[in-house]
Amino acid sequence: MISHVGLLNYGNSGNTYNVQKALELAGARVMMIRDKTDLDSVDRIVLPGVGCFKDAMDNLTGIKSDLIDHIRKKPTLGICLGMQILSKIGYEFGETHGLDFIDAEVKKMEVKCKVPHLGWGTLSFVKDSPILDGITEKDNFYFMHSYEVVNYTEVIALTNYCDHKFVSVVQKGEIYGVQFHPEKSRRAGIKILENFFNP
Amino acid sequence: MPLRIIARLDVKPPHVVKPVHFECLRKIGSPTDLALKYYNQGADEILYIDIVSSLYQRPILLDQICETSKEIYIPFAAGGGVKTIKDFENLLHHGVDKVVINTFALQQDAQIIKKAAEIFGSQAVVVHIVAKKWKDWWECYSDCGRIRSGKDAHDWAKYVEQLGAGEILVSSVDHDGRKRGFDIDLISRIVENAKIPVIAASGAGSLEHIGEMVLMANPDAVAVGSLLHCNTETISTIKQYLYDNGVPVAL
Repeated sequence: MISHVGLLNYGNSGNTYNVQKALELAGARVMMIRDKTDLDSVDRIVLPGVGCFKDAMDNLTGIKSDLIDHIRKKPTLGICLGMQILSKIGYEFGETHGLDFIDAEVKKMEVKCKVPHLGWGTLSFVKDSPILDGITEKDNFYFMHSYEVVNYTEVIALTNYCDHKFVSVVQKGEIYGVQFHPEKSRRAGIKILENFFNP
Repeated sequence: MPLRIIARLDVKPPHVVKPVHFECLRKIGSPTDLALKYYNQGADEILYIDIVSSLYQRPILLDQICETSKEIYIPFAAGGGVKTIKDFENLLHHGVDKVVINTFALQQDAQIIKKAAEIFGSQAVVVHIVAKKWKDWWECYSDCGRIRSGKDAHDWAKYVEQLGAGEILVSSVDHDGRKRGFDIDLISRIVENAKIPVIAASGAGSLEHIGEMVLMANPDAVAVGSLLHCNTETISTIKQYLYDNGVPVAL
């Protein structure tokens, strides 16, 4: 059976175009989720995202409770802001409740270097996960974020920026989150997407 | 943090051209082919600038930009002739991750930087500074390095950062396409004062030029055009050279 990956379309970033293209290269059948009825037709969910936590949650208002129901039942991958909103709470432009799947807070990065953290980074593995199948600690991934997910229980990998280690991959059951952009990370990124929908 | 090596495509649709001092253009090839070529060589990002859009006052050619982005899975920045929030939106929905803006912000309304950053996020807004050196200051130019603005490049850099720009791309009217090295003073002063990433451009004619500039000015990224277009070097030889000289790069 061919699995349909639902790509949630929210916010202004337009990032969905690039995520869709990368998912398709990885071999996925992609369907854009524009409202809650679209959720019924997909087997897996991808939350893309560039932008800010509060706007993202505001944009999800109409679909939030259905989305939460479907995420409970279907493997889900959050990318960048999409990973962040899987957390309990975010502090970007005030305190905002997230989708509350990962027991985490999303806070501004506090480092001596420039924020946003923008550029390539590698992963230090903390736990085994199918999402990292075929990935090594030498592979580079593209990051573009000012906030980080602060979590201690679901950590799969960490990334070092300016002598600060932050959470770059989380997993809780079949819910995954990656802080980097797999759709912008060459073959290694495409491999992550393959791992997600084709475990 | 690895230094990013960016392949720069100056496009006079439908061709990538090699400008010297932003003048006397020479055709190099199609943007789609070259983007893919440099992607395969290991470029960290692709930068596409339609260099005549502002000058000819015509709209941005979205189809060609979209086509160029198709087969590359790394960040893609594009600009040239961006005037409205709608332009930002169109580009961001056609495969572009970061929109590059100069002329309109410099000559008409700088607030577009603020508006775009609020709507799309700072990471989507790259301000291109094209500077010309006078005796004791640098002046920002628009319209592909032809029109003066009277604005000081360093003041302007600080101002666009306050408005919410996510990155600054620094080109030099005097050094562009001449392959005689970068305007290191210009770049290092902008880097010193910036809290946002700075991409250094204009003047790479050899590996040593890049190495020297990186050592002295410490930018976050380097954009290379002519050196690649003439097949003098490849992205991989540039990265290897920097790596061998102790500069962290993503290999």
